[in-house]
Amino acid sequence: MTHEPRGRGPSLRLVGKDDRSGAYGTASVTRDVDWSILMARAQEGDRVAYQRLLQEITPYLRSLAARRLRDPNDIEDVVQDVLLTVHSIRQTYDPSRPFAPWLVAIANRRFIDRLRRGGRTRDREIPLTAEHETFCEPPANLEESLDRHELEGAVNNLPPAQQRAIRLLKLKEMSLKEAATVSGISITSLKVNAHRALKSLRKMLVDRSEP
Amino acid sequence: MIKTPDLIASLAANATPVRRLRPPVMRAACWLLLAAVVLTLLAINQGIRPDLVQRLSEPAFAVSMATSLLTGVLAAVAAFLVSLPDRSRLWLLLPVPALVAWLSNVGYQCLVQWVAIGPDGISLGEAARCFATLVLTSLPLSLAMLVMLRYAAPLRPNAAAFMGSLAVAAITATALSLFHTVDATVMILMWNFGTAVLFVGLAGVFGRRMFRWVAPRTFYARD
Repeated sequence: MTHEPRGRGPSLRLVGKDDRSGAYGTASVTRDVDWSILMARAQEGDRVAYQRLLQEITPYLRSLAARRLRDPNDIEDVVQDVLLTVHSIRQTYDPSRPFAPWLVAIANRRFIDRLRRGGRTRDREIPLTAEHETFCEPPANLEESLDRHELEGAVNNLPPAQQRAIRLLKLKEMSLKEAATVSGISITSLKVNAHRALKSLRKMLVDRSEP
Repeated sequence: MIKTPDLIASLAANATPVRRLRPPVMRAACWLLLAAVVLTLLAINQGIRPDLVQRLSEPAFAVSMATSLLTGVLAAVAAFLVSLPDRSRLWLLLPVPALVAWLSNVGYQCLVQWVAIGPDGISLGEAARCFATLVLTSLPLSLAMLVMLRYAAPLRPNAAAFMGSLAVAAITATALSLFHTVDATVMILMWNFGTAVLFVGLAGVFGRRMFRWVAPRTFYARD
């Protein structure tokens, strides 16, 4: 609080400068004074004030970043970069001076760094696409959905008792006991039905693949 | 990627009290005080050049000394100013008038009174002592400047390194003309322009790397 009277004068002067970069009116003056006070407290080790300050500047930084960068991931990443920089050089802030120009200067450096890095990446690297991944990851190469449709069709052709047994025991992978309690069918009958179902499924699927 | 609210929470948890930096002009004054101490120690150790008083009465020499010293002072002030995020980049122009006066004065002197290296103009021993002065002056001053400017690393490393090295070069050149009889034109050129180019060049090549070395850790941990 002791910094408030000192902070008010210069911030009025420099918020005029800030207006050109997009902060508006008296609201930004009071906001700047608030941030100055919070930062001054943070420098003295007040964690609550520091957390509040970082939470308040984050949306502001996002809006600044959105003017320079397109990709939302980039924006979030660069906002985090700015927060880390603010943290590592927080002793350079002088509470008698306005906070926003200090923050904006740091933010601009990080935005420019990010844009440069983006340019370098575009020049030298080719991003991996879905096609590239198909070659690296085995599951991507297997069309499992087709097999599943065929199996579903075959199961639907079974008699209802066998259908229920195969769904509970094999597709949902229940134990005999669980399946018996869920369906109310005896364990023996489930076993028999599942056995018959597998047998006819095997017959159906083998027939289909070897016509 | 860590989520931003989590990052904020962890930063807030690490918010140890920090000591605010003193005003930049005062920090420059501290560095210049160190420079004065180094020069005094060297003067005690090596001795001032014998004809200093006589030479100082010559306007050309006096102007050259004064402008190189002024360049050093102004460059140090500018270095500490541009190392802060919210100060204008235009402060880089602060030492320019003194720098121009210094270098043009040296250049003009060389042009009008070219003194070739005479038979006793330069000896290997003198050159070695000159070099010793150069290293003894510039090394502690460079290291001190580097450590004092470390907060500029995430912001304007090149500008701060450039100004810092210009300050070191100017002070070193002043020291050389204080302690050594370098009257041959080539030697004057070498020790004045040479030192300036040497330090500014070194800063250009190694500035970023050196800053990375002393920079606050949290920033570079992510790279």
